[in-house]
Parts: sequence; structure tokens; C-alpha cells
Amino acid sequence: MSRNCSPTRREFLARGAFLALPAGATLIPAVALADDALHARVKRLEDEAAIRDLHQSWLRQVHRAGGDARLEPSLRGVLPDQAGAPDTVEFSADGASAIGSYDCLVETETSLWPDCTLAQMAHVQGHGATRSTERRRLRLDYIKSAGSWKIARVTAQPL
Amino acid sequence: MPGTPYPKRPMYRIAYTRLTGEQIAARLEPVSARGPASASAPEADLVGKSLRIITDDGPTLSYGFASPTRLSIAEERGTLAHAGYGSLRMGHISLFSHMIPGTQRGYTVVWDRNSSLASVIELWFSGYEDNRELQRQIYYGYVDGDGEAPRERHAPTDRLEGRGYFWRQDNGVETLEYYPSAGYSHFVELSRTGGELGYCAPSDYVRLDDGHFLYTRTECEFSGTFTAYVIDMNRTQQIGVRLGFDEADHLQYYLFRGQGDIVGQIARFEKFGDYSGDPIPAPKGADGKAIKGARRVYRPLRTMDKLTREQVARIAQEHSTAFAARAATGGAAGMAGNALPASAALAGKSFILRYDNGPAMAYRFDDAGQLSWRRDDEGDWTRARYQAFEVAPGLFLLGHLLQGAPNHDGHIIAVDFQQGLVTCYNGFLNTPYFANEAGARTLFGVVEMEGLQPPLYRRHARTTEMLGRCITYSYAPGLTSMHLYSTPHTVSWIIFTPDGHGGMEWSGPGDFVKIRDGVYFMYWLEEACNGTLGTVLLNLNIMHDAGIGYFCGSRGLNMSQIGAIVRHAGKFDVERYFQIRT
Repeated sequence: MSRNCSPTRREFLARGAFLALPAGATLIPAVALADDALHARVKRLEDEAAIRDLHQSWLRQVHRAGGDARLEPSLRGVLPDQAGAPDTVEFSADGASAIGSYDCLVETETSLWPDCTLAQMAHVQGHGATRSTERRRLRLDYIKSAGSWKIARVTAQPL
Repeated sequence: MPGTPYPKRPMYRIAYTRLTGEQIAARLEPVSARGPASASAPEADLVGKSLRIITDDGPTLSYGFASPTRLSIAEERGTLAHAGYGSLRMGHISLFSHMIPGTQRGYTVVWDRNSSLASVIELWFSGYEDNRELQRQIYYGYVDGDGEAPRERHAPTDRLEGRGYFWRQDNGVETLEYYPSAGYSHFVELSRTGGELGYCAPSDYVRLDDGHFLYTRTECEFSGTFTAYVIDMNRTQQIGVRLGFDEADHLQYYLFRGQGDIVGQIARFEKFGDYSGDPIPAPKGADGKAIKGARRVYRPLRTMDKLTREQVARIAQEHSTAFAARAATGGAAGMAGNALPASAALAGKSFILRYDNGPAMAYRFDDAGQLSWRRDDEGDWTRARYQAFEVAPGLFLLGHLLQGAPNHDGHIIAVDFQQGLVTCYNGFLNTPYFANEAGARTLFGVVEMEGLQPPLYRRHARTTEMLGRCITYSYAPGLTSMHLYSTPHTVSWIIFTPDGHGGMEWSGPGDFVKIRDGVYFMYWLEEACNGTLGTVLLNLNIMHDAGIGYFCGSRGLNMSQIGAIVRHAGKFDVERYFQIRT
């Protein structure tokens, strides 16, 4: 029976770390260094995943509530802008905060000013607002508190 | 020699009697016993039958038909009641109607004998603060039979939207009926009131099958009368029922047959594939549940400002504005969001607008926003703020208030420098019903100006070229309406829902003047509805208008710009129903 399998990610990283070691270096510190890098990377991936989850949860909340008090009152929904720049999340050096940048399509609702008969009739029939969609760049400031990420600030700039 | 039966006043001016529940009950009693009248012979093919009608979220009704005019009914498992009824049949569709003696309620049932499906319209008086206004609830279900219960149902639809009919009933009643909305309709009483004005009513549109539709209207804000009929779309025939109290408080309850003519089919604006009906969401109860019979009804007289002459005089003196700055975009832009830019072309000019049977108005235009006017060469010049819009080359819409005029007049003028002609819609207040409600008179005349020789006899002229047309006006994002010019003197306006259904509709008297080929100057009066005089100078060559509104409410007298990008939705061919065509 032959054994034909790919090396694990851990094995690969360890091997790579070993190959990168300067000549004469001992094996034990090299493994320790590799574990530290791995640990940092895993932590980073966990943070990224947590922020991704937080962002999705926030989007759902915006749609459920029809807005976010931190944004303009007319905002009703946020959708990803597939034609926009890729989403980015940049972490601070200490890893305690991060800034997310998301190109998106923002749906806003403007109430019709009831100063004419037509607008008044629109209100009476339950349709006294107009909705429009525009491209915005969302910036979400995140902070890590007690081991979990929270949204500290939200802004939306026109693109 | 009998003349045309013009009414003394429009429907919205009639002070219909506030009938008490007791008065209604007393008048219903004999009618409930004998059933509806009918000019056509009642159908007898229900006699001897028993029907059990099961409805979704509604009653189960058990009927027995003892004769062509007598039936028994049990609601759910309730007491058996005996009532008079009437029945008509049109192909595989039967319609029968009855009241329940001792109550102010009744049912009209539409039964499709092919599919066994039934629409049950429950009707009742004394369900609104004005007891005479009929309330209705439509239940969808089927006639219980031997086989499996059908899964299909009759259902609200927008598929009748855009259609118009002329109907001639077996009792001599002739009407023009327009369905430019999926929730309202517009009707012109040709035989009963001479067809001068059309009126609007909340309506239901129900698909029975592809060839048959059920229509209802309740003349809310008027007599409260309810009409329902089934249309055979292929044969252009109808069978229906009418129930309610007329202007003289006589109870009308009759069935009718009718023969119609299709007068047109205009465009609809829902997305392809959207055939949904009932587009105006009904109000719900505090518990979030549907309320029986609930519907949204436009009742403009309740909310409009109603001012006295003294109040109007004070407001006009203290709070008159013309063409105040407005927000440029969005919901606060109102009806000016898509307006044409104001023109400075008249600055520095002076001329006289000499109206036949009207004043000679001399003008000096100081700049793009200020003019001075003087009437009939008398008195001092009066300064006024104005705006002008060049709607077509050499054709301007111009408006200003006449400060100091006893009726607080405003002039809204189409000035055609190419033809040397002018038409003025002279708005004024202190009208008979509410002093702040605008009236209008139409003045024709010529432009007298250095270097311009006006015609001696030619004038702009009233036209019926717009009669039957439907034009959509997009004033601003989210603010689009459609005008329906249903008679030579009626402008009706329809509000769209966000998904493009025609929604609420109302109407008022109007006037139509042809200025040039493809250019029309029109007004509508929002009588018993805010009191606004709205004007548009519509250029169908560029599919854009410029307009000016003249309005007095508790916050002031103002003249303001309106303007829209337009679409031509179609035209109903109704000229032949009006004798004078120009």
C-alpha cells in the first residue's frame, strides 16, 4: 500500500520556515519561530473572520431596521457593489482596532414633501416616499474589546 | 323639449343628506323583501337549486332559490332568512344580489358555472361615519359540489387597467367609464348628468377568467352608491348591480345588463409579468390584522384649508409669494424637480397683452425676475415678481400675481411672439364655496409690441384635440402622475404606486387651448380639493411642459413653478360622445 498524500499546511509552513533558516541555526528555535508566525497568522485569520461575520450581521441589522442611527436617517439598505473596489480590512499594529472599507450601493428613502396635491395623495395611499440607490464607500471602524470585535463608527462617503 | 339634464352643481358640491341608520333601515325594508329591480327579465334558472358557497377567510353561505324573486339564505349555520333577490346570467357567469331583511347588509354573488368559483361581495350601510356610503368586502371561494374543491380562485388584477368603455344599460343609462388605475376608476355620466364632468371612485378589479372581469366602484365622497358588474370582454357586455341613495335620497337597487363599446386601451406602467391587483394597501387594525371592508379613500375635502374672504384678504396681504426658491432636488422639490429653467429673454422688453373682452395689460420687464404691470392704461405701475419659461421657440409661459386686485388675481399666460397671440388663465379667489378656492377664466388676445403685428381675427382657440388623451407627468423622483382628459372640461389625475400601478385618482374641471401644433395650454381646478389652479403649457414636440400653480392656503397665497417630463400613454376615442369638437 502506497502512502500518497499532500503535506499538511502545518508541515508545509514548518518546512518553509526550516528552509529559510540561516546556516548554522539550530532546529528548535526555528520551530519556535514558525509557531509564532503561525499563531499570529491564525489570530489574524480569526480576526478577519470575526470582522467579516460582524459586517454581515450589521448588514442584516441595517436591512431589518431599515437603517442605522449612525448613518443618515434616509438610509434604508446597503448592498455590496460588485463593480466596486475589493473590500479591505486594515488592522492596527497592536491588533486592537481595524478599519474596513467597503464599496456598496446605498438605498436611501426621501419623504415626498406634502406641499402639493399629488404628494398628499401619494402619502394617503401609503407611498409618500421615493427611494433611490447610489454608490458609496462605507468605512467601518472596529475595536476589539474583551476579546470580541465591535463597530465603533460608521461613515459613508459618496464615490 | 327636454334638454340635456345638466346637474345644478358638480357631485362634489352636493350636500348629500347624512342619513341616519334608522332612515336607511326603513327604506331598505321593502326593498330587502322584494329584491332589486331590473329592466331585463330576471333569470329563472336558479329556481329549485341549492347552493353552498364556501369562501376563504369569509362566510359560508347556503342558498335555496324558491322562485325567480325569492331565496333563502343561511350564513354559516345561522338562522335561515328569506329575501327578495334578482339574478342575471351572461354565458357561464351568473350574478345574483339580495339584501338580508332586518339588516342593512346584503350579498352580491358572482358565480362562474364552468369553474365553480365564486366571488361574494358583502355590502353594508352604516359602516362609515357617513352611513349612506356603502362598504364592501369581497370574499373569494367556490360553490361546493360533488367533486374536489377547486384550488384556483378569482383574484384582484391589474389586467383591466388602461381600458375604457362606453356602456349603455338596459335601463337607458349611458356612461363613459375609464380604468386608468388598478385601484380607482373614472366615470362620466352621459345620460344622467349630461357628461360635462367626470368623477373618480375607489374600485376593485377582479379576474374571473381571461374573458371575464368583475369591476366595482363606490362613489365615496359623493352619494356613496355602489356599482358592480361583470364584463364579458369578448362580447363587450355587462351584467351588474347598483345600490345606494341618490341625490334626492331615493334608494336605488337594481340589476342591469349593458352593451358596450371599447373606447380605447392606454399603456400600463407595471413591469412586464406583474398582473397583481389591489395596489393600494388597505389600512390594518391595531393588531396588524385586516379590517373588514377597509380601503384607502381619497377624501380631499376633509383636509383642505377652508378660508373666509376676510382670512384670504389678510393672508394675501401678509403672505403672498411668487416663485419662491425651492429645494433643487429630492422630495422637497415638489412639482418643480424636472421644471424647465426660467428664461431671462423678456428682460428689458415691454409690450401690451390686449385681451378680447378683458383688460389690456401693459408690461415692462425690469430683469429676469421683476416686471411692472399696469391695467387699461390706468393708475400706477405695479411691480411684481415673475418667472417666464420658453416652452418652444418664441413661446413663453409667464406668471405673476396682481397685488391689490380685489380677488387676489394671478395671471398665467402663454405668450406667443411668433403669432402675436396670447392666452391667459386668470386665476382668482373669493369663489362661492370657499374663498381660498381658486377659480379661473380664460382670456384670449394679442400681443402689441414694437416690431410685431398681431393678427386681427385669429386667436388661440379651445380644442378637443387633447380629449381622451393620457399623459404621464414626471415632476420629480417619486412624483409621477398621469392626466386623463376624460371630457372636454375634465382633467383627472392618477397617482402611481412605486411599482407602476395606477393608484389613487381624482379630478376637477379644466380647459384646453391649442397654442400651436403639438402645443397645448391647459388648466385644472382642484375644486373641493385643496383649491389649486394648476396650469401646464405642454409641448408634445419635446415631451416636456412648463407649468405654474396658483394656490391660497392658511400659510399664504403663492404662485409656483411646476414642470415635468412627459410620456404619451395613449388616447381614448371618445370624441363622438361629445357634440362640440374643435
